[in-house]
Amino acid sequence: MKSLQYFIFLLIISVAITGCAKNKERSHINIAIPYSDNVQDYETNYYIKWLEEKTGIDIDVTIIRSTRSNEYLNNLRSSDLDVDAVFFGGDFQADEKAVSDFVSNPDAYDEAALIYTCKGLYKSSGCGQVMWINKDWLTKLNLDVPKNTDELYRVLLAFEKSDPNGNGINDELPLVGSVDEYEFNSCLYILNSFIYTDPYNSYCYMDNDKVFTACVDNSFREGLSFCNKLYNEKLIEYADVDKSQLCELVNSPNNLVGAFTTDSIADVIYQENPEIMAKYIHLPPLTGPDGKSFALYREYEPAIGAVINYKTDKYDDVKLVLDTMMSEEASLIARYGEEGVDWEYAKEWDVGIYGEKATIVTKNYIWNTRQNKHLCGIGPMNVPDKYLIGVTWNGVNSDTEYIDARAKMRYESGFPKETSDNGIITEINNYVDEMTDKFVKGDADINDDKNWQDFCNGYNDIADKYIYKRMQNK
Amino acid sequence: MVITILLISIYISGCRINDNANADKWLESADLSGDDDENELYENALKEDILIVYTVSTRATQVKESFEKEYPGLHVEIRDLRSPELIKAVAESVDTEKYDADVVICNDNSGTFKSELLDKGKVYPYIPNDIKENMKDGHVTDMITFLDEAELMFYNGTKYEKSPISNVWELTEEKYKGKIIMPSPLRSFSTYALCAAILDSSDVLEEAYKEYAGSELEIPVDNKASEYFMSLLFDNAVFSNSSDEVVEALGADETEYDFGIMVSSKLRFNEIGYNLKPQYDLEPFSGAKISYAVMIAKGSKNVNTAKLFIRYMLGGSDGQGEGYKPFQTIGTWSARKDLNDGNPVALEDIRLLTPDQDYIIENRDYIDGFLSNLLEKH
Repeated sequence: MKSLQYFIFLLIISVAITGCAKNKERSHINIAIPYSDNVQDYETNYYIKWLEEKTGIDIDVTIIRSTRSNEYLNNLRSSDLDVDAVFFGGDFQADEKAVSDFVSNPDAYDEAALIYTCKGLYKSSGCGQVMWINKDWLTKLNLDVPKNTDELYRVLLAFEKSDPNGNGINDELPLVGSVDEYEFNSCLYILNSFIYTDPYNSYCYMDNDKVFTACVDNSFREGLSFCNKLYNEKLIEYADVDKSQLCELVNSPNNLVGAFTTDSIADVIYQENPEIMAKYIHLPPLTGPDGKSFALYREYEPAIGAVINYKTDKYDDVKLVLDTMMSEEASLIARYGEEGVDWEYAKEWDVGIYGEKATIVTKNYIWNTRQNKHLCGIGPMNVPDKYLIGVTWNGVNSDTEYIDARAKMRYESGFPKETSDNGIITEINNYVDEMTDKFVKGDADINDDKNWQDFCNGYNDIADKYIYKRMQNK
Repeated sequence: MVITILLISIYISGCRINDNANADKWLESADLSGDDDENELYENALKEDILIVYTVSTRATQVKESFEKEYPGLHVEIRDLRSPELIKAVAESVDTEKYDADVVICNDNSGTFKSELLDKGKVYPYIPNDIKENMKDGHVTDMITFLDEAELMFYNGTKYEKSPISNVWELTEEKYKGKIIMPSPLRSFSTYALCAAILDSSDVLEEAYKEYAGSELEIPVDNKASEYFMSLLFDNAVFSNSSDEVVEALGADETEYDFGIMVSSKLRFNEIGYNLKPQYDLEPFSGAKISYAVMIAKGSKNVNTAKLFIRYMLGGSDGQGEGYKPFQTIGTWSARKDLNDGNPVALEDIRLLTPDQDYIIENRDYIDGFLSNLLEKH
């Protein structure tokens, strides 16, 4: 009898437990996230776990091994892959048009509701290009930090001739640039010592409320001629270097590079490479022969952080997770890690990296390092500027955010009073970039008046379609 | 119940005894007597792992490079941190028994290095005997001080051929509001040491005021002369995170700043075109003396490499090795009798306060509270 009672008791308990389990059954979604060396394990990632707890939704992760986001979206469109959303970031950047095409399926939800942005990698505006120079080489050769283009020329010449890395081989690369992205284009940096040269606004600038086109100005031509001289004398390695080669060269233990340009130094020097980081210091904006000295001002448009698969049958769940990721609370985890462990709110007396009152103190600086607290910039986020500007130096001398901030503050004096609002006009940018490349490398002679005139005519023809008409309408 | 408590007590005591025994065992096997042969050290170091150096000096990266060339097969990882973070990291490495620090290079100006690492047995001194005899007095104690510097007043050399001031009280004048840049003392140990030393110097400040103003200093109620001076100085100052920022802001040709306070070794940036001029003769002080220690971390797993690295960094037996050269720059003073100072003006000829570590440790709460209060109001 007793055993019967015990059996019934067990049965009731089991039913109760099963019932509870059913009540608590959680929905789950599947998110495709690009692989990153900087994330240890998505399954156990602190941020993913936090999101699951916050939303009550389990997140399964499918790792994307490709870097070609367009191809991935095409495959997603034409397949029945069980993916509810795709995250972008790192080497897997979203192409705006491809994402727009992807969500423009007639059966899709409201297109805008499917796309999430990623704002939090940089403050929303500031200097877009800094030149970094090898301090060890300057010291060894007893040279000053160059302040103008003439001094830059002499320094680069010394770098080339004097074997500053001391290995007895003429393997030094005085100045390295890459045309992969504007930030790495060292000629663009030099051109800003001649005239304000802004590729992010189709090479136009404003003065007294009027739009001017920099690249048909004679100062631009003089700047190109200077770059061509550097190229001819093998003082600049230009155009034949892609981003990964640039990184390899700068990070080489053989100490090969004299100078290079970036937006953030972290774009080229690996965060965990303090010896290399210690070699380079920023240059102030260089003054050109006419005494001009500009710094490239850039407004950072938020990148696309995620797109919801229009075919998902879990739209509400995915939306809840992604909306949560856009909150300040989540975005601070996405950017700085676990509160109280990796960062805390600043004390009243702390100083931010841009010299303002601090808002955030990082205790463990984990950005751009291999860690398991966040997705290291992958996925949607929305970090308010007050944190990006107000973060304190973490005390690590190779902290790239601090190194960047110090450099960028010095460039602020070179910003134009006003900038054009043209944005990048692809046809114009392609034309100017291609011709600039030719002029620098000597494929077209910049000192030949006819070549120059042809270039200006070509530019004017395209600009007529996009810029001049707009100027007239204004 | 009593038995349980007894067992727990015995277990805890056992653990402590075990901890101490482990520490003693490591210390014994590490043999930090300094009686080592360089070749034997190298031979044994080749069997060890990568040496991890925690340092507050970026110049240690240059030591790493030449060390690895001098001793092929040995590798060094540099962890370059500011002092508060370094002390925290080394303490944590020992407390968690990870022991991933081998060599520690840090300044000891705020007393925290002493109280948190040295007094708690988390770092140990090591100096080869043949180098010990060449060290200056007071540099080999329970700490190995391998370099002297100063937290010093500088002015911009483009703006001023000669410093426009001769007395620290001039820094408190209205015309210098926003013209003085210095690291936040709560983020920089050397600036903290200077501020603490100033707080401990009311007498000399009162005397200096008399010289400056020709009258007695009228101190607000409940203030000391030093507190009053600090509050006026802070009113005029702009705070940065580090001395590097002071170099960049003050040393440029065009700058909004007239004066800066930073570590003297930053004078080396003049070699690449900055224009920083040190002020040595300010009345009653131009700064405070600071020093750097090199120690072996408790539990170091690569103790032979650590010893060899320290030997190398101190310049070797005759001081002529490459390891000490990165530290022999302008704005530094050698710890060795057989080597010249990097700075042309002797440390003794500069008006410097000497921070009293015992005073700082005893009065830490007061100093921290006073400084944070001033900075919050700033």
